[in-house]
Amino acid sequence: MTEPINIRTLEPGTRIALVDGATAEIVSNPADGVWVFARCLSSPDDAARVGSEEMIFAQDIVEIRTAGQ
Amino acid sequence: MNRTNQLTRMLLKQEVEEFLYHEADLLDDRRYEEWLALVADDVRYWMPMRRNVKFGEEEREFTRAGHDINWFDEGKETLTRRVKQILTGIHWAEEPVSRISHMVSNIRLVEVNPSVEAPAEVTVKCRFLIYRNRVETETDILVGKREDLLRRVDGQWKIARRKIVLDQNVLLTKNLTFFF
Amino acid sequence: MRATSEGYRPGLVNMAAGQISREIFVNEEIYQEELERLFARVWLFVGHESQIPKPGDYFVSGMGEESVILCRDRAGKVHVFLNSCRHRGMKVCRYDEGNTPVFTCPYHGWSYGTDGKLVGVPYFREAYHEKLDKAQWGLVEVPQLSFYKGTVWACWDPSAPPFLEYLGDFVRYLDLTLDGWDGSEGGSEILGGIQKWRIPCNWKFPAENFCGDSYHNISHRSVDLVGIGPSGSGRRDMQERLMARRLHVAFYERGHQTGVYMLPKDRPTPPSYQHSSVVAEYFAHCEEERRRRRGEWARLIGSPGEIFPNTALHPRQPRTIAAWHPRGPHETEVWRWYLVDAAAPAEVKDFLRDYYIRYSGPGGMTEQDDMENWNYAHAASRGTIARRYPYSYEQGLGFETDNYEWQGLPIPGTVMDITEAKSSEHNLRNLYRRWAEFMEAASWDELATWRVARAAE
Repeated sequence: MTEPINIRTLEPGTRIALVDGATAEIVSNPADGVWVFARCLSSPDDAARVGSEEMIFAQDIVEIRTAGQ
Repeated sequence: MNRTNQLTRMLLKQEVEEFLYHEADLLDDRRYEEWLALVADDVRYWMPMRRNVKFGEEEREFTRAGHDINWFDEGKETLTRRVKQILTGIHWAEEPVSRISHMVSNIRLVEVNPSVEAPAEVTVKCRFLIYRNRVETETDILVGKREDLLRRVDGQWKIARRKIVLDQNVLLTKNLTFFF
Repeated sequence: MRATSEGYRPGLVNMAAGQISREIFVNEEIYQEELERLFARVWLFVGHESQIPKPGDYFVSGMGEESVILCRDRAGKVHVFLNSCRHRGMKVCRYDEGNTPVFTCPYHGWSYGTDGKLVGVPYFREAYHEKLDKAQWGLVEVPQLSFYKGTVWACWDPSAPPFLEYLGDFVRYLDLTLDGWDGSEGGSEILGGIQKWRIPCNWKFPAENFCGDSYHNISHRSVDLVGIGPSGSGRRDMQERLMARRLHVAFYERGHQTGVYMLPKDRPTPPSYQHSSVVAEYFAHCEEERRRRRGEWARLIGSPGEIFPNTALHPRQPRTIAAWHPRGPHETEVWRWYLVDAAAPAEVKDFLRDYYIRYSGPGGMTEQDDMENWNYAHAASRGTIARRYPYSYEQGLGFETDNYEWQGLPIPGTVMDITEAKSSEHNLRNLYRRWAEFMEAASWDELATWRVARAAE
């Protein structure tokens, strides 16, 4: 069980890992602590998702990735 | 600060507290003209309004003096008119007069210039609780913070600046016919 | 006390005798009917475009009892939404104003764009199996929105006439508040800081006062005695009263009314704002320009008026728009906006701002005495015995004229010239005449009587 992350202040450009194994990069953050807009960087089971912009829910973000991860 | 300084500061704080309590007595006793004598001619009396703002957007919270609409943003001339209005005896909002108690607490000296030994101006912070009861059952309790600049003029303290920060957004009293 | 079974006019609002039952101010059932029959069907003032200049800007406002969000979406289009999540009702915005890309509900996380569309639904794939039709669950939006010289108006009833038709000829009087002091069209801006406060009385007390209660000067005698006016003495410039005709103008079919001063032909406007020479010069220049642009119509100086049912206009000294929001039959929440010309010099805006807040609002030396009267008039009218006795509204009954004209300037509306009479309750009666019509009418078909007249022609 991962520690919850306060996503409210995550900057655009931050890379995040999602609960389903996908990774994404934050495009914009409405600063509500509930959603971020992010572009999918990788997906273990849906190649079509890569490159598309999605709304990511706070509870689906499991880790902040540092550059290079 | 050595012990002598500490004691001097403590005595100054005592003097300032006495002044603020005396001021509260004057207002509660409706001795408005004597209260006006404690107010500097160049006073700024300001009560901003408060907005509900998002975390991180604190700069939006308060309305600005000299720029936005506020609850009060005035000088001695207008304060004097307000007193005169009450003293006409036909200011219906204060007829019959309200029963008011000003409670002043959490008094702290924030800044003393030029020195504690020879203070000319003092910035004081405090909390207020104003209890107003009027007619039969009409009751208001207003609570907030005050930041005053007191100036020593001919051995007497005067209120040169007063900023009143009421802890309300929608004002929950129908009028502000009294002084904070 | 159902409108449809008993009828409002015979029992409660007696126009023929000029008597109105106290029940309409204090009765809980009537109040609940007002929410349905009045506030859900009329045009309501929600704000000013200068409050939401950029995409993403929002200002939380009110319509009747309800919280609404006035906002500008990413494409620049303005909306008014009910401030309530479609899922379980939580207020999606608890801030007064700001800028945001989305309105997110903190309860279950549903998120809406500034265009009201539901864009974020947690576990849409997993928990909803993608079956939720998001297009059906956007924020509730007003079906009618209208913009007029900076002001924004909203209406919950799709069958209501468009705003300008709702106003009818009253629009020329709304212009007295919204046009520039120099007679140029529009150009107003709102000063930052909307005053919001509660008064313990029914909303119709302040509403009728601003329709043109010409009789209540004694309320303000204390402020007249001490002087507050921009020229230092009196509550307002008394000069314009001395040479003008004073009129009450009402529009029977619409329910709007206002007071107005009509200056004589070819007489200069009396000087005002003598306290400050910069301000006095500015207004003197504006008056010249106004006469040049508006010709005869420049002879009109506005005084308090009301757009039916609860938008109060005060065109000058001070210049302000107020909404009287109902909060149960026994309480009103006032929201007050103050206007200036956007192009006015800073010193003029500063001067006016100082004047506005010592005149109006809870810190206003004038408005304070009004509220005391409304408070205790309401309180004294709640009792069993008190409710048996109607209020008297018969002042000037029968002395109205249509087709009023003075020195070549015709005045649209039904007019009471109160220059010699000093006062009338003509405008107040009009508010309640229209109120009773709304309480009885099943739909806007019955209320838009001018359409029937036009069709018959």
